Amino acid sequence: MSEFVEKAVSVPTETAAGRRPIGLLLVAIPVFLVIWLVIWPAINAISRTIWRTDADGHSSFDLSSYAFFFSDRYSLDNLAVTLWTTLVCAVLLLVICLPIALYLRFSHGRLPAYVQALAILPMFVPSIILAFAFIRVLGPNGMVDILLNAVGLPKIRTPYLTPWGPVIGLVWDNIPLTVLILLSGLGSVANQSIEAARDVGANTIRVFWHIILPRISNSILVALSFSVLGIFSSFTLPYLLGPASPEMLGPFMQRTLRDVQDPIGAMTQAVVAFGFCILFGLFYVRSVARNRGK
Amino acid sequence: MSVLHIAEVTKTFSGGTHAVNSFSLDVADGELVCLLGPSGSGKSTLLRMVGGFEQPTSGRITIDGEDVTHLPPERRPTGMVFQSHALWTHMNVFKNLAFGLKLRRMPAGEIREKVEAVLELVGLAGYGDRMTNQLSGGQQQRVALARSLVLEPKILLLDEPFASLDQHLRERLREEVRDIQQRLGITTLFVTHGQDEALSMADRIVVMANGKTEQMGRPDVVYRDPKTPFVAGFIGTMNLVEGEVTNGQFTRSDFTFPLPIADGPATLAIRPEALDLTASDTPKATVHRVTDYGSHGLVDLDLADGTRLKSMVAHPDLFRTGQGVDLKPRAVAAYRNNQQIFRS
Repeated sequence: MSEFVEKAVSVPTETAAGRRPIGLLLVAIPVFLVIWLVIWPAINAISRTIWRTDADGHSSFDLSSYAFFFSDRYSLDNLAVTLWTTLVCAVLLLVICLPIALYLRFSHGRLPAYVQALAILPMFVPSIILAFAFIRVLGPNGMVDILLNAVGLPKIRTPYLTPWGPVIGLVWDNIPLTVLILLSGLGSVANQSIEAARDVGANTIRVFWHIILPRISNSILVALSFSVLGIFSSFTLPYLLGPASPEMLGPFMQRTLRDVQDPIGAMTQAVVAFGFCILFGLFYVRSVARNRGK
Repeated sequence: MSVLHIAEVTKTFSGGTHAVNSFSLDVADGELVCLLGPSGSGKSTLLRMVGGFEQPTSGRITIDGEDVTHLPPERRPTGMVFQSHALWTHMNVFKNLAFGLKLRRMPAGEIREKVEAVLELVGLAGYGDRMTNQLSGGQQQRVALARSLVLEPKILLLDEPFASLDQHLRERLREEVRDIQQRLGITTLFVTHGQDEALSMADRIVVMANGKTEQMGRPDVVYRDPKTPFVAGFIGTMNLVEGEVTNGQFTRSDFTFPLPIADGPATLAIRPEALDLTASDTPKATVHRVTDYGSHGLVDLDLADGTRLKSMVAHPDLFRTGQGVDLKPRAVAAYRNNQQIFRS
């Protein structure tokens, strides 16, 4: 009898112990990938840009590549246009996606289903296809120009190869993720809490401002953080649609590495971009933690 | 004085479903009327139409003579307490209550005064700084009630406010709500599917089925004199026995009862407390189960054809499973074609 009890007690312990290696193994794969593909290259890049080897083979602490980046007019212009593009995209995404998400959350029927499908569509269109579609439609002698010409109107000032080119492409590209995150946040706003607000006298704007917005502030932060991080380090759309000078950090890095053949300069740009992304990330974590604490 | 008048209101949803069908009701000043009915009877839709959350397809709703049929909720003199409390979790209790007053641009001092007074009224004095998720279910429901009361609405609308609470709390809160309602003299429309709530709280009950009024009246009258088999079955426990009347005698299986109505099919309604049981050499029913509730007992009986009846007895220990008994109804009602045709 006592042997039976002993066995019965020992079984769950054995099972839990048996599961532990599987759990650790499952976690180990992504952790290993993050270390291999993100943390190690980041540490490597930082160390190689601040611990430089001179022509005589002597290694020493050297911040000259950073001093160059932050004193070079061209590099600073590129950083500025990257920050400008990111900021404008974030604002436009919020202005465009929040009304779409609100409409999808509070409407019923077939039309919202079509709108949702349309809003999610860019997710399935590769960036390169999107870029060439943009050029064919809004580029010089594109579809819009042809249509305007057909009705005797002058051509538009095309945003292609201007800072607005990447903005339009990146906003289009980020609409699906932003709408989905905002929609999931709006899902936590109960219909009855909105009705209760209307019952005590709140009109539509006040309901949005006092009831809906505070409840989805975390979702807005998450959506913007995801978009900002993606846009800041984007490459394809700025490369294909943006101007050559100034250019966003993504194409700038590629050109510094391939055309100028300056790996240390490209790594310095990457570390600067990484630093800004960490700042955005910290802002996001701090805001979410503060909201959770409320 | 606040009087609610609902005239011939109909609500048809897409697909042609009549949620509420030509419904009329007058609620007097200070009266508490309970809309009682099963799920899908249209009671909540009706309440939502009074609150402005649904638009009637036809008909008219007036409050103190003012037509509010097409006014949005924010412009109606009504206050609604929702089943799920619907408190704003990002605000504390004070802010939940003060929100409506702020929208009315009331001075801060006056807001504080009013909020504190209503918190006192619902027994939550000193709870203003608490977040709503720090409160129990009962306290949250009191905050929801206070949020409506603080705006001094002409009509208070309660949509199954106790449905999410446990039995003990439900009983306590319904007494408190009734006390507050009577103290303030506020005209109230209360929706519930709980007959206990309706019977214990209402001045008047409206029993609804399929979007229409089945019966309307004082709780004791509706209980004692249900006009249709539906009301008889829905309010309280009722034995509904279908049988045949021949030569003034109702018959179902071995059970017979003198019923002075024309021959034909009929439904006999007997409350368990009006069905006495006696020992007999020629038993009409067999005891299936005896349940002792302490203060009384409930005996489940089977007729020979398996029809199940219930009888409330003072001494359940006198009966045992399998025992044969005779049935002696003291008061009955009889229904034919969905109408009451006899009552003793």
